[in-house]
Amino acid sequence: MSPRIRVALLALSGLILLPCAAQVIAGLPAFGSTIAQYGERINAITPEARHVANMVSAINFDLRGLDTLGEEFMLLAAITGTVVLLRGRRGEGNSERAMRRPGRAVIPRSEATVLACRIAGPLTGLFGLYVVLHATVTPGGGFQGGVILASGTLLIYLGEGYAGWRDAIRSHWLDALEGGGALLFALCGLAPMLVGAAFMQNILPLGTFRDLFSGGLMPVENLGVALAVAGGFTQLFLEFMEETREAEEPDEPGEETA
Amino acid sequence: MSVLPYAVAAWLFGVGLYGIATSRNFIHLVGCLGVCQSATYVLLLGLGYRWGSIAPIFYDHPPGTPAVDPVMQALVLTDIVVGATLTALLLVLTVQAYKRGGSLDPEKLRPMRAGGKSGQRQDAGHTSGRVSEGGRKAS
Repeated sequence: MSPRIRVALLALSGLILLPCAAQVIAGLPAFGSTIAQYGERINAITPEARHVANMVSAINFDLRGLDTLGEEFMLLAAITGTVVLLRGRRGEGNSERAMRRPGRAVIPRSEATVLACRIAGPLTGLFGLYVVLHATVTPGGGFQGGVILASGTLLIYLGEGYAGWRDAIRSHWLDALEGGGALLFALCGLAPMLVGAAFMQNILPLGTFRDLFSGGLMPVENLGVALAVAGGFTQLFLEFMEETREAEEPDEPGEETA
Repeated sequence: MSVLPYAVAAWLFGVGLYGIATSRNFIHLVGCLGVCQSATYVLLLGLGYRWGSIAPIFYDHPPGTPAVDPVMQALVLTDIVVGATLTALLLVLTVQAYKRGGSLDPEKLRPMRAGGKSGQRQDAGHTSGRVSEGGRKAS
């Protein structure tokens, strides 16, 4: 199909869909006037029923925890697909240490960069941990905290260079983090069934409102998500970095294609 | 009544869709998909907003204070994380397509055939055959 026909087709379908879309938009509640009843009820009931202050975490890890479990496995599947596609061609053999790109100079980093990264990297990790732990109390949670933790490891890369980063980070640890996090979340769903409760029913003591350990099962599930997200995003970065490099001696001549 | 947030969402989606339809580069295409996806963020957050409400976190404010819809925020939160990993997956597919066909242009993408023979032109066919053979040996 030529590009011109494709654009014409897009314009045609857009013209057909435009009145329908306009009608739907006109039927939406006016912006800022009201919110859905479901959210309203959650805001009214949940602080008392679950002893948590952060409604978003309460939805993600308790009220709609099953949906988040699905999202979690979507995340796992996407990262697994990425790793399989990248590593499948390269083979498992070289996953232990950093590969070098022949003919590419290693540019030394300035001392200021190294110092700034050595200070900011652990601080970013600490902040990520703080965001993860305070999921039920303040804005935070496993998704955001996990991404911040992964950024902390990237600062190590920025300061120490790729070889140093690979010395600190093992690929199979990341696999274990990612899979273990998803497993922890799934086990949090299955464990209540051992005592006769429903799947993912919050059976742990709920704690006190506005306390760090409030929410019963929620902080545990949250930790699982944080581990999976932090491991997964670091793994993604590692595999993409490996892709730009080659083994020092390619095994087969067929491998070295640009 | 203001329809501006919904109009912005529709505009973002339309622009992204136009980019996808006319894209001549896979990386550009993945970026356009990201633009389409941000339209859903704007739409969801716009639907969940209410004037004069606080964020749905009752730490500084007592429970019962009018707050915006937390369901939409939870949806957007998971949407962003899963979207980021899916972008990574699509970029990997881009890398593989480039290695196989030697081009980032979706127009030049040919169907894959069994036996590693892709429908390339004569000069490119040799290279792609070699790549797939090497890949098969490695796996």
